[in-house]
Amino acid sequence: MRYYLFNDTAFEIIKVFLICVEFFFVIYLIGYSTFLFISVVTGSSTLYKKRQQDKLKNTILKNHFVPISIIVPAYNEDVTIVENVRSLLTLDYPLYEIIVVDDGSADKTSAKLIDAFNMLPIRRPIQRKIDCQPVEFVYEAATHKVPLTLIRKKNGGKADSLNTGINACKYPYFICIDADSVLQYDSLSKIVKPVLENDNVVAVGGAVRPANSVEIENGRVINYRLPKNIIACMQVLEYDRSFLASRILFDKFNGSLIISGAFGLFKKETVIAAGGYDSTTLGEDMELVVKLHDYCVSNEIPYLIRYATDAICWSQVPESIKDLSKQRRRWHIGLFQSMWRHRVMLANTKFGLTSFISYFYFLIYELLSPFIELFGIATMILAFLVDLINVPFMLLFFGIYALFGSVMSMTAFFARTQTIDLKVTFKDVLKALLLCTVEICVLRFIMVWVRATAFIGYRKRKLQWGRIQRKKINLK
Amino acid sequence: MKIEILIYIYLAVCLAMIGFNIVCIFVFSRGDMETEQSRLYYINLIKEQFSREALEDRHRLLIYKRLAHVRELTAFDKALETLSKDYPEEVYSYLRKLEHVFVALADRYSRRNEIQMAYFPYVISRYRLFEGENLPQINRILVDLLQKPSVYCRENALHAVYSLGISQNVADALKIIDEAGFYHNKKLITDGLMSFSGDKNELDEYLWERLDDYSLNIQLAILDYIRFSSEDFRERMLALLLDNRDSEIHYCAIRYLGRYPYEPAYEHLIKFSEHEDEARWEYTSITCFTLASYPCERTVNALKKCLGSRNWYVRLNASQALERMGLENIDFVDIFDGDDRYASEMMRYRLDSKKLHERAATS
Repeated sequence: MRYYLFNDTAFEIIKVFLICVEFFFVIYLIGYSTFLFISVVTGSSTLYKKRQQDKLKNTILKNHFVPISIIVPAYNEDVTIVENVRSLLTLDYPLYEIIVVDDGSADKTSAKLIDAFNMLPIRRPIQRKIDCQPVEFVYEAATHKVPLTLIRKKNGGKADSLNTGINACKYPYFICIDADSVLQYDSLSKIVKPVLENDNVVAVGGAVRPANSVEIENGRVINYRLPKNIIACMQVLEYDRSFLASRILFDKFNGSLIISGAFGLFKKETVIAAGGYDSTTLGEDMELVVKLHDYCVSNEIPYLIRYATDAICWSQVPESIKDLSKQRRRWHIGLFQSMWRHRVMLANTKFGLTSFISYFYFLIYELLSPFIELFGIATMILAFLVDLINVPFMLLFFGIYALFGSVMSMTAFFARTQTIDLKVTFKDVLKALLLCTVEICVLRFIMVWVRATAFIGYRKRKLQWGRIQRKKINLK
Repeated sequence: MKIEILIYIYLAVCLAMIGFNIVCIFVFSRGDMETEQSRLYYINLIKEQFSREALEDRHRLLIYKRLAHVRELTAFDKALETLSKDYPEEVYSYLRKLEHVFVALADRYSRRNEIQMAYFPYVISRYRLFEGENLPQINRILVDLLQKPSVYCRENALHAVYSLGISQNVADALKIIDEAGFYHNKKLITDGLMSFSGDKNELDEYLWERLDDYSLNIQLAILDYIRFSSEDFRERMLALLLDNRDSEIHYCAIRYLGRYPYEPAYEHLIKFSEHEDEARWEYTSITCFTLASYPCERTVNALKKCLGSRNWYVRLNASQALERMGLENIDFVDIFDGDDRYASEMMRYRLDSKKLHERAATS
């Protein structure tokens, strides 16, 4: 076919081009496979070590309570908000407060809370340490286990709501959680442990797990099943392979660049000093963590950002491609904004491994990867056209790659379920085995396209709340 | 190297890991089953010994041999936990008779990895073994653990030291941690000291005497502990407050004098509340809170003045102190009618919040 399409000179140029591309992809894939391999091996071994430590009481045994403020930003959450606050009131921790920030919802979010918890209006002065939209009213309830506050403010986005919560909260550490998430009963005592272990800890990420099909009673999992919905089920495997394992690895050298907005603990003083959440970004959770690195290193403040694998938050994951695409687009744009704003971290020796491993990983294998992978597919088509591709080898290579990814997913999945004593049925293991390959071969490529096209039309949505269809979590 | 070869190698390792995971599933479930069987075995074995005056040598030897394995020690621990519910005194007496075995085991466990080693002092503290005894064999493993980088090792060792109930050992243990140069959270130390099983007055005096030997972090932990433990340090705390010390030490002294009012301290506290230097706002803020323990007109006036401070925390603490003193709306007419909106808002909120709590309590 090449003789019809290209002359000899053009063919030679294409050949050289393809050799260069091949070389690039060899390096690219060695890098990715090695990272994945190291992260899964490190992640699994850390989880097993943690299990042994827990069995042999190598833990901070008594409950040493660090006072915590829980901030729940909410926008049009009247379906889930009451149940969510109810579940927060059952947490096994004595010293915390709950602050719900209603970001000018158009539904009955505030009204439902006021009714359900007998809240009363109060004129509460709030110190504006971080700039945020004006407060419309404040309600408080003193009839519950811990103080409950509702702040209704003018609409300004999730980051702005979190900043309002930070301004209002009274304790030195705060936790931000999504309004559709449920904390496990012991999650607070687990997430403060890194703070007790080291005074320099400024932030701790909790482990976010997909809650679809999980039954929870008083913050305890009473029935664990893989979700029936296959999109959600594939995300369970993706969370284990990509998020759990890599975050444990980054934690080893203080290189975490992201703490999920669904569950993270922060030192209030440091967050305020760094300027709080950035309300102009779509990925306020990542932006804050990258900002904390930047702020602490620039000001020569000793700091640690930790990851608590056993502090668990159950959160709904999208169950349709449409919702998932929406979520991933936001994540991708947020990733770009955070990395661009803090580009000072690129190849900067002051940031050490955080720059040379974490930042590079996020730059190459997260931010640029959809473009690189699409470029790879285009190159393959070109190579096919000029008859410079070994099709059986290409298929074999894809096969090995898919198998490799699947084995990684299963390794992380087994390590997680085994080490936190979740009983998984044989049927679920089979389901995981089948879907991990589908996730690698199908879902991943759909997400490549979604992420590559994320920037199209983002200006229209840039200050909107990221929303997926809300369903009640299976709480008993 | 061709990339597929590398991927094959990685694949092989990962397949091995999956194999490892599957083996783990069986090992863990079998391990749990065996631990449960051992627990039941120990329950019967220990119960048999309850009625005896002295333990049989054969029993001691058997226990020594079995507990050298960490899984057996966990099963033994679980058996003791079960028995302690119905036979607390018998278990205590049985363990006292078994202490020689644990002395011998200390040597075995001191050669294990950190995780297994740290389990040993956990058992000691949990069952208050060697209470009041100062045994070199036990001290050796504890000292070793106190110098480990793992906070869990140090914490388990410290709890064992607290359970031994010897003041000097506690003071020495804190010094060892200090000298090893590892950060140990002061809250963990304060709460741990509260669990000391020996003579607390003696411990307070011992720690106070050696206060200057420690780093600031441990000094603060000790002062916090004394605040919860004894009211006999008023005079000394005032002296500490007037001494040229780190501001954090002064804050501890102020808090102490708030918990245990001491008339000679009043003048000094009032002076602190009158600080107008913005850089020293923490002194003013903490003192405001403390002054609630010295109710009188002069205090009310001083706190009302603090309500007008430019610092948020000073205003907040002053309002809380005034509320704690039981004052009502009528007492704040001058504040509510005054020009200072911030002072008025803060005081109003405090009083409204009090009403909210009262209403909640009555409903």
